Amino acid sequence: MTALETLEILDPTAEVDPEGRPLAGRPPDLRTIALVDIRKPRGDVFLDELERLLRERGHEVQRTAKPTFTKPAPADVRKEIATRCDAVIEALAD
Amino acid sequence: MSCGLRDVVEFEGTGRPAVLIASDAFVQAAEEQSRKLGQPALHRAFVSHPIQDRTDDEMHALARTIVDEALAALTPKEATT
Amino acid sequence: MAAELLVLVKHDCEVCDQVLPVLDAAAVAGAPLRILSQSSPEDTAAQARRVGLRSVPDTDVDLEVSARFDPDAVPTVVLLDGGEERGRVEGLHRARLAELAGRAGAELALDGLPELRPGCASRTRDPDVAATLAARRARAEGRLRARALELGALEDPFEALHDRGLTDGLPGVPPTPERVVGMLEYTGRDPQDVVGAVPPYGGDATVEKVAINAVMAGCPGEALPIVLAAVEAACVESFAWHGLIATTYPAGPTVVVSGPLAAETGMNAEGNALGQGNRANVTIGRTLQLVGRNVGGGRPGVEDRATHGQMGKLGSCFAERLDETAPWPGLAQDRGVPADETGVTLMATEGPRVIVDQLAREPEGLCASLALALESVAHPKQRLAFDALLVVGPEHGRVFREAGWDRARVQERLFELTTSPAGELARGAGGSPEGIEPRFVSDPDMPVAKFAGPDRILLAHAGGDAGLFSMVYGSWAAGEIGSAPVTVSVEPWR
Repeated sequence: MTALETLEILDPTAEVDPEGRPLAGRPPDLRTIALVDIRKPRGDVFLDELERLLRERGHEVQRTAKPTFTKPAPADVRKEIATRCDAVIEALAD
Repeated sequence: MSCGLRDVVEFEGTGRPAVLIASDAFVQAAEEQSRKLGQPALHRAFVSHPIQDRTDDEMHALARTIVDEALAALTPKEATT
Repeated sequence: MAAELLVLVKHDCEVCDQVLPVLDAAAVAGAPLRILSQSSPEDTAAQARRVGLRSVPDTDVDLEVSARFDPDAVPTVVLLDGGEERGRVEGLHRARLAELAGRAGAELALDGLPELRPGCASRTRDPDVAATLAARRARAEGRLRARALELGALEDPFEALHDRGLTDGLPGVPPTPERVVGMLEYTGRDPQDVVGAVPPYGGDATVEKVAINAVMAGCPGEALPIVLAAVEAACVESFAWHGLIATTYPAGPTVVVSGPLAAETGMNAEGNALGQGNRANVTIGRTLQLVGRNVGGGRPGVEDRATHGQMGKLGSCFAERLDETAPWPGLAQDRGVPADETGVTLMATEGPRVIVDQLAREPEGLCASLALALESVAHPKQRLAFDALLVVGPEHGRVFREAGWDRARVQERLFELTTSPAGELARGAGGSPEGIEPRFVSDPDMPVAKFAGPDRILLAHAGGDAGLFSMVYGSWAAGEIGSAPVTVSVEPWR
């Protein structure tokens, strides 16, 4: 089996849960949202308006930018988000 | 776009609801990538392509079309399973 | 329907190389030939170019047709009439091929070919391929019904099992259909037989689900019958598996295997039998707990409320040593399993603790030591609420054996010796607030038994030749309010 093929396994559970890795729980009160700019050109214009709209809706917004869109977010960006924010919006991929 | 999805996987893994906003040129690719990352249900929201040559006003309008969908991806679903 | 000649070939076979041009020519001349290649389209096309065929054979997609006719060798020519097989030739036999083709009204220009050449192995005989085909067949025939989970191409399969919450902290073997079908070979039971309903959510442990978890645990196939018996025992109501999962007490199921299958399966009953290192011991216990976690849905911190837990909850299983050193027959045999059969006894217990006695040479003295340790199960002043499993080591067992004390006699004596006067057991006695409520202590000299009866001290025999030790497993809450040990016969599979 090469690294690029999918691997089929049989479900060892009673199959009550939906497939796939579980997503994070969605808490009812969403306060601070991290807005991560992946740094594609003109993305900041989009994010500026998104930030304004989110604040209008009563959320705190923390703007962060990845150093480059070609790699996943570095550890310090992720850590800062994890400690300070309740949820994340990452934009704008094109 | 695939790096963005990996980020979303990481954030979800640390317990932070996350959503990626992308151009709708990526609908198929995002679905495939999510599946390959083992999380077909990763949240994504799409704005209409193209992006690069939009005016500032058009970009702002795109943000307005998507903000509620993005927020919905981060909050509990109303329906029970 | 007219007769047809179905041909199976592969690209890396010299005999196929020789036969294909002949068949190709006959097909062009109108013979009713269908040629399927077991190889990839690219390899088949390359072969066609190499041997100069006018048309490229079709691919036997997923080896479906090959699996149906299941030849040992290629090239194979099958005569079909109305879709039914009427004859076949495997390999190159000029005379038989000519005859077979003639029955389909075809003529093959076989001159120049060798009279007789055995073919090459059909791809369906390749062990990997055979395993995949067997898995596909099992799914098609309904023997495999579990949901298939696709692990993403970008996921590491071992990380994926952790990420999906399917394992116990240690890595699991990804339960591919091929591995599960391989595991199911070790039982004659229908994979959809329900072994038991697993608490807390009552999921059905089918033989298939048990096999999937056995693969994940790394369990050897030979041990599957023992695992099935253990799951069956754990699901018996009087074992109270639900309470055992949910309790704050550090208890989990302990599996004692008594009988000839233990050794046949490679289990360890001797040195370090209660420890690590033996694959069967470790993985039988682990499979049971994975079934609990995955099929039952009980997870630490959620349904499992154990304050501390202990490593026996990863898996706790050993074999009894029933050779010439054994002082008594097996525990399962004492509880009703026939002498020449194998049984599993499940008991809800904490982890084992050692009892040291390096000086007793007589059974009385040894029982006195053992009783001191037994009395301290859970708390010395707690009475009647707990059972115990005492695993006598061979050096201790010899004392009983040489004195001719049978199991019942040892149990009786231990029961008597674990009695203490009520006054010592009352709340506040000895400075400890624990103990029996004062209103139950009318006479401070009244003897109060530790255990509810001699039969509540279960005796087993295991361990290495050297070491003057026995081991005691205190039970979880016993009797009506808690769990009772359960013994089940193992259905062997030959």
